[in-house]
Amino acid sequence: MSNIHGKAYAMNTVSPMKPWKTYILRLGFFVWNHYKPIGDGLVQLSFIHFARWVIVPRYAFPRLSEQQPKDNLQYDYLFFFSNFNGTWNQYIDAFSAVLFSGLNLIWRWSEKFPGSVPVTPFKNFIVRGQVETDYYYTAYPHATTNDVKAAHRVQSALDDFAKLTEGMPPAKFADAYLQFLVKVQGDLGETGEAPVGT
Amino acid sequence: MANQSGSIYGLTILSPIKDDPNAEISPSLAIRMYLQTLPVDGGGPFGRVSNTHMARLVVLDDVVYFGMPSCEEHLKSQYLIFESNFDGELEPYLTQLATEARDEVHNIWQHCIGYPGVQNVDAFIAYMKRCQVETTFYFADVNDKTVQQTLKALQTQSAVASFIEKNQGKRSEELQPAFVEFMRRLNSAPRPKPGSTKGKELTDELL
Repeated sequence: MSNIHGKAYAMNTVSPMKPWKTYILRLGFFVWNHYKPIGDGLVQLSFIHFARWVIVPRYAFPRLSEQQPKDNLQYDYLFFFSNFNGTWNQYIDAFSAVLFSGLNLIWRWSEKFPGSVPVTPFKNFIVRGQVETDYYYTAYPHATTNDVKAAHRVQSALDDFAKLTEGMPPAKFADAYLQFLVKVQGDLGETGEAPVGT
Repeated sequence: MANQSGSIYGLTILSPIKDDPNAEISPSLAIRMYLQTLPVDGGGPFGRVSNTHMARLVVLDDVVYFGMPSCEEHLKSQYLIFESNFDGELEPYLTQLATEARDEVHNIWQHCIGYPGVQNVDAFIAYMKRCQVETTFYFADVNDKTVQQTLKALQTQSAVASFIEKNQGKRSEELQPAFVEFMRRLNSAPRPKPGSTKGKELTDELL
């Protein structure tokens, strides 16, 4: 299945919005881009590598030749693309439980959005708007978002430790090594194959 | 600019797909069938365009109708969606795509309206820019590390865990030379390739 590669899941959804409502959503995104509450929430969830919302106005679907039929749409469209770890159900459950207010502010402008709580109608809405991925690539398929963040902390700690202990007497090295272990011990989880079902 | 978060660029492309009612295999199906044959690991096109963190290709057949009281409407073209998250700027990335993955790019986009080929890289870049749609809100959890830095860090993480495990209980007179040797090996080790699933095996060989 192309939606999944290693520990990453590629989700795509599309939903229609009345054009006047997209102005409000654009204003909301502008504010979030500058004050970051949605971004902070996504960082706290810590299982999303990359995500994006894209508003495509009804007149902005690319038309590259006169032979291409001209679209005549009434709605603007909100696309959502996400690269996350875990199962689809875990993802939507976490979104609904943790980011419900932010999600409501984003999708409430879409037609027939039922709200992100309770979760069952929200899942039905997502299923209806989901488009399957035909090809999915990730440069580090065996690593989750938490693995990536932990690996960078280990790299940074190791660089500091190697620099600090260069030419150090063995007795002092042992103490510094112990401190290094304490610092990285929580970040040494192993990457590898995803469990079945993710 | 919402297309970027830190040093990561979020590219969104919508390329209209040709409509050929007389074709034995429709262009959209031809794209889908070809994509099924492409390797998803480092042997695929994005393994060679090595600053790609994650990318996807999606054939969008139509927009979605959610039911009354909204209006039912349809697209008059199908679209190929290309979504990519990569390091750096757009034009060098598209240039790399056209040169490092030229066969795959051609085999995919030849079914799209207005595609000029990849022989003329400038024309290809101009075409892709015409198909680009601006990202409205972009989120990257780690937005200050390149693909190479991340692959190196994952290798380091695995190697450090193995080193600690194998050197438990050693006296500092033995531990320090072992660490110096470990760092020498780690720094000279080949880096895991993008898309590779062999990180742990490489670390085992290293140690």
